[in-house]
Amino acid sequence: MIRQLSILFYFLIGSLTPSISIALVIGSDQEEIYIDANFSGEELLVFGAFYSDPSQSRDSKSDILIEVVGPLEDVALRKKDSYFGFWLNSKSVTFRDVPGFYYLSSTSKLTNEFLANNQIGLLEKKKSEMIDRSSLTTDWGSVMNEKEKKEFYSALIRTKQNDSLYKQVSDEIEIIDGNLFRSYIDIPNTVPVGEYNVNLHLIIDNEVSQEYSYTFVVTRVGIEEAIYSFSKNYPFFYGLISLIIAIIIGWSGAEIFKRFRKV
Amino acid sequence: MSIYLPIAELSVNIFLLLSLGGVVGFLSGMFGLGGGFLMTPLLIFIGIPTNVAVATSANQIVASSISGTLGHWRQGLVDFKMGGVLLIGAFFGSILGVWIFSKLVANGQIDTVISILYFTLLTGIGLSMLIESSKVIRDRIRRKSVKQKIHYHNWAHRLPFKVRFYKSKLYISVIPPIIIGFVIGILSATMGIGGAFILIPAMIYFLGMPTSKVIGTSLFQIIFITALVTILHATTTFAVDAVLAFFLILSSVIGAQVGVLAANKLRGEEIRALLAIIVLGVATKIALDLLVEPNEIFNLSVIRLVF
Repeated sequence: MIRQLSILFYFLIGSLTPSISIALVIGSDQEEIYIDANFSGEELLVFGAFYSDPSQSRDSKSDILIEVVGPLEDVALRKKDSYFGFWLNSKSVTFRDVPGFYYLSSTSKLTNEFLANNQIGLLEKKKSEMIDRSSLTTDWGSVMNEKEKKEFYSALIRTKQNDSLYKQVSDEIEIIDGNLFRSYIDIPNTVPVGEYNVNLHLIIDNEVSQEYSYTFVVTRVGIEEAIYSFSKNYPFFYGLISLIIAIIIGWSGAEIFKRFRKV
Repeated sequence: MSIYLPIAELSVNIFLLLSLGGVVGFLSGMFGLGGGFLMTPLLIFIGIPTNVAVATSANQIVASSISGTLGHWRQGLVDFKMGGVLLIGAFFGSILGVWIFSKLVANGQIDTVISILYFTLLTGIGLSMLIESSKVIRDRIRRKSVKQKIHYHNWAHRLPFKVRFYKSKLYISVIPPIIIGFVIGILSATMGIGGAFILIPAMIYFLGMPTSKVIGTSLFQIIFITALVTILHATTTFAVDAVLAFFLILSSVIGAQVGVLAANKLRGEEIRALLAIIVLGVATKIALDLLVEPNEIFNLSVIRLVF
């Protein structure tokens, strides 16, 4: 794995509240995640410091929130129903512009009201009413009633969570010495390629005091990229080459073993 | 150690892939079968998407059937004319098959259809192998020898467009072999199999071909069907994974050769009974997946990345 260790630092000082003087310094260990032949997932490190008076420890009222939003994709969600004892796909809903990856963590547990007020979060905010579907365009197909729509929406979140592509936690940000924080974010091997946004929020007294965003990209490199783009751009020749490889290995395998047997 | 598969878009353990290819290759070498009927469901079990499993499996069978054909060809046991006639049907069958396949992928029913097809197929193969091998074992214990009928005359000999197949010593209509080829073409394209276990009995019982020429001829035409299916899948479903295929081919070709060696040393019936049990085990697993209420009744598939 080619790991780029160009450490980025962003200094964000300013708009300090008069009572509490805190700023945010953040960094990340890589701008790109490369999918090559050995790719089996990655850990993304996001770290930084609450930049306050070093003699004082972090104010207990301030919190850090890290949000990672992956590239958008369209997904089809299908529900299985039992027909004569067989579990077959039946109803289908298409969700458009859904993040292929979503991660949200904070230093302390944030209330749903806070997330809703600041328009943060994609995950189900409340069990019943407050489901925010506004950001998603959806083709509901034959799904008509509200109850079933909610069922589909929570299934979307759940299936993404089961694939480790969506996560919302409140205990993954480590605080060191009261002033430094760091978080390792699991990027599973099934992540989509594309641009990812990392949004950091400094929260003081339940209000977002500062925000900072940066992007990193997940790209295929080397032979993975070559094979993938070749298969999309020249499918006929890709098929032909796959065949030629099969013919060569099949043929030579038989020849080699034939000689081997004669000896 | 794991390897990232560029088309399946996930990483799998390389030793798992190699041993899967090796075992399927070993079994196919030992029994003279293509092994696609085990390869595809096993790939699906380890988490490879159904469309990639089917398309890549077809590519792998090209390699294993070439290995197998060479030996039969040298001994003059391939009826190229019959193979060619079968291929005419197979050509149209596999085009229809890939079309059906892409429609099923689009409406989300592919997994179910593949499961049902495989369950039916594996149960059929497993049971017939089990019955056949247990009969042989029983007869051996009773020291009986079984006489087999050599030639069949049936409706296939009464249809028009008769052609002489010198190698197989047949004078039959081309309609039955074309129909057989057509059906095998559909199955090959939708299931990622060569179809030898359907083709071989069909050639013996429907066409009345001599048993000695059947295996070589079926292998010969399977090369071309699966080659065509590979190209069709690469251009329409984009599901052929070259990296996955490479490791499966490498390990299955070696496995197949070891299987051939082992077949000469071991007694066939017991191993055939064992294979029958493996096949029935896979069929049972597929049936349970269809019948038992799943933990998650929703499933998600990405249609398109938005750029």
